[in-house]
Formats: sequence, structure tokens, C-alpha cells
Amino acid sequence: MADRRRINGPVGATTPPIFDKPAGPAAAKTRDAIRKIFLKTGITPSASGSAYLELENPNPQRPGNTSLKLSCTVHGPRSLPRSAPFSPHIILTTHVKYAPFATRQRRGYLRDSSERDLGVHLETALRGAIIADRWPKSGVDIIVTVVEGDQDRDSPRAKKDDEGWDMMNVLSGCITVASAAIADAGIDCVDTVAGGVAALVCKDDKTAPTIVMDPVVAEHGSILAACCVAYLPTRDEITNMWFKGRLPGADMMVYDKLMEKSLVACRCANRVIVQELNETVKKGQGIS
Amino acid sequence: MSSTSQHLLLSPAELAYLHGSLSLITPGPIRPDGRSPTQFRPLTAETGILPGTNGSARICFADGTEAVVGVKAEVEKTPVPPYEFVASTEGRKDHSGTPKKSGRKSKKTATEDEISMDVDDEADEEAAGANEKVRGSPDWVELSVEIPGLRDDDSGTVFLTSMLTEALLADGEFVKKLWINRRFHWKLYLDIILISPPLSYPLPLLSLTTHLALLATRLPRLKSEADEDPMFDDDWAAATFLYPLQDTSSGKASNKSSKQSSAAAAAAPASRPPITLLVMAVGDNIIFDPSKEELAVADSAVAVSVAEGPSSEPEPESESIPATTTKRNLHLLSVRTIDPPSRLTPPGVPNSVNAAAWGTMTAATPTTTTAATAPSSDGGAAKHPDARVTETEDVVGVWKAPRGGAKFGMLGAMVAKVLREAASPRRFWMGLRVWI
Repeated sequence: MADRRRINGPVGATTPPIFDKPAGPAAAKTRDAIRKIFLKTGITPSASGSAYLELENPNPQRPGNTSLKLSCTVHGPRSLPRSAPFSPHIILTTHVKYAPFATRQRRGYLRDSSERDLGVHLETALRGAIIADRWPKSGVDIIVTVVEGDQDRDSPRAKKDDEGWDMMNVLSGCITVASAAIADAGIDCVDTVAGGVAALVCKDDKTAPTIVMDPVVAEHGSILAACCVAYLPTRDEITNMWFKGRLPGADMMVYDKLMEKSLVACRCANRVIVQELNETVKKGQGIS
Repeated sequence: MSSTSQHLLLSPAELAYLHGSLSLITPGPIRPDGRSPTQFRPLTAETGILPGTNGSARICFADGTEAVVGVKAEVEKTPVPPYEFVASTEGRKDHSGTPKKSGRKSKKTATEDEISMDVDDEADEEAAGANEKVRGSPDWVELSVEIPGLRDDDSGTVFLTSMLTEALLADGEFVKKLWINRRFHWKLYLDIILISPPLSYPLPLLSLTTHLALLATRLPRLKSEADEDPMFDDDWAAATFLYPLQDTSSGKASNKSSKQSSAAAAAAPASRPPITLLVMAVGDNIIFDPSKEELAVADSAVAVSVAEGPSSEPEPESESIPATTTKRNLHLLSVRTIDPPSRLTPPGVPNSVNAAAWGTMTAATPTTTTAATAPSSDGGAAKHPDARVTETEDVVGVWKAPRGGAKFGMLGAMVAKVLREAASPRRFWMGLRVWI
């Protein structure tokens, strides 16, 4: 009969549990261009213009890794309500919303401050591109839904500041996809604006930092500074710029290099937009 | 963005005039209030106005906008995520070449401190050992902005909040000041309230006030050691400044005496809180701290956050860069373009297409040779020959909201100019220092 007075150890031999070490960050690939972009316009029939953008998944083998997926709809230009005051320009409203399941941490249905912040950045980027005075007394709504954020999900290093760098990538995607959707809606622009990101990254404390285009946040040990730019290639103008971080040493030189690199990323993204729009036009001509 | 697009009662003609005078090259821009391009608006400031806070400040600009900032601090327990704990213990094992210093237990460090009673030495050792472990988290700072007449989830307010927060958090140095020990930290609440209605874009005002309030912020002096539960000196007079002040007196004195006291500046280890400046470009001119009217004709506007770091790295100072650029060890924290409200201004109508000025008449009946609207005399075939021209090109003296963005070189020049201006000690850094 078993001894009930005391707590006995297990009958058989046991081994203490050994926890597997968390997987390290994915190896950084050296690439000289941005990740591949899939872009398609005209996917939402009910909207006057729409586009979908997806980035290439950098590490498709790893279990939880995802890439950026964005969908953008443009409603308008449409007349303002009668109660609205007169506006000599088109009134631009931008919404950026993460789907609740887009990031590691669940997003509520109400837009939080980072989403509103992205919305303002997007508005600044687009307002420079749109020829606003051709539509007095009208408004246009631009809604970007982040279906999947650009995050590394299987790495346990849930660093808080990774979030901020993610936002840069999301913003550049938002700008690119919104630009394609606006062109799809037939709103006059001075140029197709495209977004690009460059970052100053370093693997660890010993190695010298390098500048990379379109940084995959999960791949890099630490990001020192990053810069997101919205760029009009044919006019060679920047409509929105967002830089943050800490630069070592002589500031302006690194800063300029970072900007130049992000402009290259913008040009790459713009090529995708132009190609997609060309295809759309060709398709339309083929039908008629 | 409603905070930038305040109602501005300027006609297109006035806007065109303002734009013209601000973009003058030869005598430089002529600003409506007579300031030089890099001059700031006059302001009155005071600190320590709110007794219930750890630090507070009030700034009133000459145009009547006024802001109050209160900083409150609370002790909070630092949550230790499991992976971080593993990593930190491993890290300590790794560089345990100095087993005494990194300290197994707080008891041991305490005895060690008793033996070596030298305070400076202890502080040095603490700093050397702490470099590895002093961490900060962006969660430790909470910033709120309140602007009368706007909802607190208004995107303009959110943009301001995130811009000011970003400046504080961008380099991760600020949150390290809030570290108490491995288990506890300060949580800092910054509450920024604009008292007056937002007469101009409030960013420079809010940033300056925050800067002052942080300079005036004091935290109770810590009495406990190492990883004990924190215990503080209850004498408020003994409270330490978040940004140590000992350089204020020496800095002021040295600044008065000589500009080339770079050695003294290097000796003073003080850093200062970040500051965000608003700069705009009109034509080829770069204008600091634009007022509302000036911002209404801006071609582009940029908010630049800079901070003065501890001048520990002597390399940039000894380089061949002119001394003025690196007098203070400034670094760039963040740059954001701001949607200039000029894009929302109503365009003017040139005479050539304006029916009220006989413009369309000239086009329709080319036989009339009214000299007042001469530029359209060559037209005639098209209905509105000048309509296309005015649509795409600028007509001198007729206001048109700017299209497109800013040139790469212009943005770079604006950022560089901010760094250069902020580096010169006689400017606002010193001006602000006086107030404490």
C-alpha cells in the first residue's frame, strides 16, 4: 500500500526539464536592393481606387515569420456635405489602421496613437503629390489597412523599441500603396510618390555600423537610426521625411548618406508602381 | 491636421506679398515682425511654478501663446521578462573577469563601499560597472499634450505628442536617467498644457517649455544602495536634478569670459534635454521659428530635434571641422517634415483669366488692345489661352499654394543649419540656461 502520509517522489527516474534556447535572430542577408514588392491595383471593386501591396518574406523557412501586407482603398473625390465650409482644395483624409491580428500585440478596433501618427505622416506625403486645387469643395478618403505588420514573431526578444522601427517600414509601404491607389482612382498627381526606408544598423557593439536599405528589423542586432522618405522621382522632391535615432560621430555626413540610401529605396519602389500602372493601362486598352 | 491649418485671414495677394518678401535673396528675408532669419520670438519663462510637481515651467511667447509643463515622477517596479533575466545573468557571467565589481550580492558591494570610502571612486566604479546594466525602456516616460479646442485624440495633437516623445526617446539616453536599480525605476509623467488657444503652430513653444521643465526637474536623493528597495532622502533641498546643474554656474561664467573655452565645456559633463525646433524654407531662405503668418507661405517646414550629449568623445572636436560647428556636442535625434498650412491656402487668380479684370474678354476678343492685361495678347485660338499657363506655372505676384515637396539639398541644408545654430553657445541654449 502506498504511503499517504508524505509526498512521495515519482516512481520512475526523471530528468530535470531542459528548456530549449530561444532561436537567435535570423541571419542578415546582404542585399543591394529593397525586398521584392508585389503590387496590384484595382482589387476592391466598390472603391474608386484601390491597391494591394505585399513584401517578399525574407525568411520563408522560419516558422512565424511574416512580411508586410497592406491594402489601400481610395473613396472619392466626392462632394463635401452641404454643412461643410467652403474649401478651395480637395480635403484629404487618411486613415492607417492595423488589423487586430496584424502585429504581435493585438490592436484594438479604435486607432491608437501610433496609427494616427502614421496617418498624419501619410497625409503629409500625399498632399504634396496631389494637385489639390483641381477639386474645390470635394473630399477624398484614403484608408490603408495593415493586414500583416512587418514583424518577426518567432524571436522571443520582444524589444519595445523594435516597434518604432517597424513603423518606418509600414509607413513606406503605406505611401507606396496609397500612391498606386490614388493613381488607380484617377486623381491628378504631380508624380507617383513612393516610400523608402534606410537604416543605420550594427550587428553588435564591436562592429562598425552600416547603412542598409529596407531593413528587416528582425535580422539586425540593433538599429541605431532610420529614415523614411516619400519621394517624387521625376520632380526630384521629397514630400515627407521622418528620421529618428542616434547618429555616431560627424552627424551630417552619416545623415546625408542615410537620406541618399533611402532615396534609392524610393526609386526602386517607384519602379514597381510605374510598372504596375503601365500594366493596368495596357490591360484596359486590350479590352476596349 | 487642424492645428496647422488654423483660420488665417490673409488674402492671396497678401500671401503673395509675404512670400515675396520672405524669399528675397539680396538683403535677406524680410520678416513681418522684423526678426532676423535665425532669431526666435521673444519669450518670458519661469520655472518651478507648480509646487506639487518634480519640475515645472511656463513659457509665454510674445504673440500671446502660453504653455505650462508639469513633470511628475513615481517609483515603479521594473518587470523582468524571463528571457531578459536569463540573458542578463549570462552577460554577467561572461564578463566576470572582475568578479568583485560586478558583485554577486548587494551585501558584498555594500561592504566594499564601506571599505573604500572615497565617494568619487565609488561613483566612477558605479558608472563603469553600470554602463552595461543601466537600461531604459520607452515605457518609463509618459507624455501628454493638451491643446484647448482640440480633442486629445485629434491627429494634430497626436502628431505633436509623438514628435515630442520621439525627441525624448530617440537616443535612449534620457530613459537611462530614470534608472534606480535593477528592480526599480522612475516613471516620469510629462503633462504639457497649452493655456492659450493655438495661435501659431505650438510645437516650438511646447518643446521649449518641456525642455525647461526637465531642466528644473529634481528627483529625491537615493539613500539605499544597489538593488535594495529604494529609500529616499526626505529633504527636498537635497534632491538631485535630473540634469545635473553643476555646470550651469561654471558654464555661464566661462561663456561670458571666453568663447574658446572648449576645454571647460569638455570638462562639464552635463547634457541637456532634447529640444525640437521648427524651421521653414521659403524660396532659398531658411527661416527659424516661423510665426503663423510666415508658416502660411512656407514652401516646406521641418521639425528638427537635437540634444546636447555629454562631450565625452573628443574626436569630433579635434577634427578639422570649424570650431563653431562642434562647440557643443550636438546630435540629431529626429527630423520630421510638417505639412505646411500653405498647401491649404486659397490661390489667387491672375488678371489674364479673371473676368472681373477683363482678362477673359481680351482672350475672347483679340482685337481689343487693353494694355492692362498685355500678357494674353498673343492668344486667340483657344478659349482661355492663359488658363493652362496659370494652372501649371507661377505668375509673378499671384499666390498659388505650393505643389510637390522640398528638394533633397534644401532639407539637408535646413537640418545642417539647425545643428549649426544650436551649436553656437550664445543662442538660445545659453538664453535658456539663465532662467534656472
